[in-house]
Amino acid sequence: MDAGLCAEKCADVLQEKQNSDGGWGYHEETPSRVEPTCWAVSALTAAGECGKRSGAITNARHYLLANQKKEGFWTASPEMKTGNWVTSLVCAVLSQQAGTESPTLAAMEWLCGDYPLDSSPLLRFLRSFSKAKDISQHENTYRGWGWTPRTSSWVEPTAFALLAMQEFDQKRLPSVAARRQKSAVGLLYDRRCPDGGWNCGNPRVYGVAGEALVLPTAWALISLRNLPNHESKSLSLAWLEKQMPKIQSPGSLAVAGMCLETYGKESTQLKSRLHDYDVETLLEDGIHVLAWVCLAMSPGRRWPARIEGRHEPS
Amino acid sequence: MNLRNRRLIPSFQRPPSRVLIRRVADYQRDLEVLIGESIMEFRLTIQGKTVLLKPNLVGLDPLGVMNTHPAVISAARTSFLRLGAARVLIGDGPAMDRDTHAILESVRLREFTGKLGADFCDLNLDDVERVILETRASKLKELYLPKTVLGADLLVSMPKLKTHHWAGVTLSLKNMFGIVPGSCYGWPKNILHWAGIDRSILDINAAARPDFAIVDGILGMEGNGPIQGTPKAAGVLLFSDDPVAADATACRIMGLLPEKVAYLARAGTMLGHLDPRKIQQLGETVESVRTPFAVLPEFRRLVEEAVE
Repeated sequence: MDAGLCAEKCADVLQEKQNSDGGWGYHEETPSRVEPTCWAVSALTAAGECGKRSGAITNARHYLLANQKKEGFWTASPEMKTGNWVTSLVCAVLSQQAGTESPTLAAMEWLCGDYPLDSSPLLRFLRSFSKAKDISQHENTYRGWGWTPRTSSWVEPTAFALLAMQEFDQKRLPSVAARRQKSAVGLLYDRRCPDGGWNCGNPRVYGVAGEALVLPTAWALISLRNLPNHESKSLSLAWLEKQMPKIQSPGSLAVAGMCLETYGKESTQLKSRLHDYDVETLLEDGIHVLAWVCLAMSPGRRWPARIEGRHEPS
Repeated sequence: MNLRNRRLIPSFQRPPSRVLIRRVADYQRDLEVLIGESIMEFRLTIQGKTVLLKPNLVGLDPLGVMNTHPAVISAARTSFLRLGAARVLIGDGPAMDRDTHAILESVRLREFTGKLGADFCDLNLDDVERVILETRASKLKELYLPKTVLGADLLVSMPKLKTHHWAGVTLSLKNMFGIVPGSCYGWPKNILHWAGIDRSILDINAAARPDFAIVDGILGMEGNGPIQGTPKAAGVLLFSDDPVAADATACRIMGLLPEKVAYLARAGTMLGHLDPRKIQQLGETVESVRTPFAVLPEFRRLVEEAVE
């Protein structure tokens, strides 16, 4: 079995499914959306063969740039008006490409100014008088990011914001970025489930321990990869390794595999297990899943970055 | 309340609703016949229609205690097809875990239905359309909702009979949270919590009111639901042409007062009937199948008069 060949096949299908506007929908022949476009363009980049893919990558970049709103954010669907978590994803992807300095700076400034409301001083004060404070007992002075602006911090959007900041040119990061990164990392460590791993961000509700999930755990660990060792990381890595044989879906398997590789824990069975899926099944799950599998199987993958560090923009 | 929305009808103008209670001991029974016969009692217009079944697929559930059971979903699908539906889709948008494939594997849905292909729709990832929320029950003015939901001729809410740690109970109406797409609003759909769970339930159901409800109460969940509660067998399936009446009846079976569930009380003024005098009870009586469900201390008010 040749893993590169399978990644190439996935990339070929992705390229074939690209919409005429340069983007991809969540499923083939559906209108383009920002998230699947980000994953597809990352997969095509990782699959290599620059000459063969460069047209598709350029068109995808045009789609993303054309859909940025004047405030700097992106919306989940083009007709929406409110920015959300996909802004982090686009910012991370475009930061890897030359000539995108101005749009990514606008996105980063929007991200840095987007504070979740649940951790605002006023709401924390009000909450201290409410019975709600006893329901989920996490530390709410930490501020991460929400799925949508001015709501609550959650694990995955916080991880994606951290990834965006890591990919962004460090010299151009807004001054507030360092403080926000520190608080976001604190939030992730605080929201870890007692037995390791993360769920969406509720480690304990009504005193009952929450169960971790594969995708939030993998994204959180990837976003924390360059930080010093921490109990939360080691416990969660152990949790994720233990889950690997039980994971049945290609999306979770691919992302978990990339995460473990990022930490130098190569899974010998990962690529053969991914190889067993057919493209039709992956497409049923979505373009983003096909792209994740392509990324996981690409020997030349640079993002989500391995532990040795980020690459320079090409 | 804005009554321009055709789905919003004050209860005094709404014809009586029907709720059918069937006693079903377990999931081993011939559910296809039972569910098919039950649906026929309602004389729904099904011929040539596109039916969307909206089960409650809330998370990974290898023990089969938190999601609508796949045997019920599969039997409902077969029944609607036999009754002449042109197409029966199954769709949900799980709230906490975006890996819908993993949830489907854990509930073994395809073992019961066979390969679904495009007949399963992950509503979290569906194409969306802007819907103005005319009820304005919450502060949300609009939502982007899945085109598959908005385009269905017959929308069937298929919840599991459960208590809920934020809303009191989660039944046909609360189940509709699952149509709000995660790709737009996240996992969980936190914007609904900020807008107020009770009020959001009203807005969503006014925008996409289920035409029919099938409540899986064969094995329900009490206490700290919808995920971490305790399994509780009630041994019933409920069918109704009114999701409010279905939920009110389900509450009474659980020994809870629907009038004290905040969102149900308001739903009873605009989305369906809460008053038992406006509900034509078919099949078993509520009293004959009543199975008191435990609730968290925060919801003791729901049971005070009913049980004590």
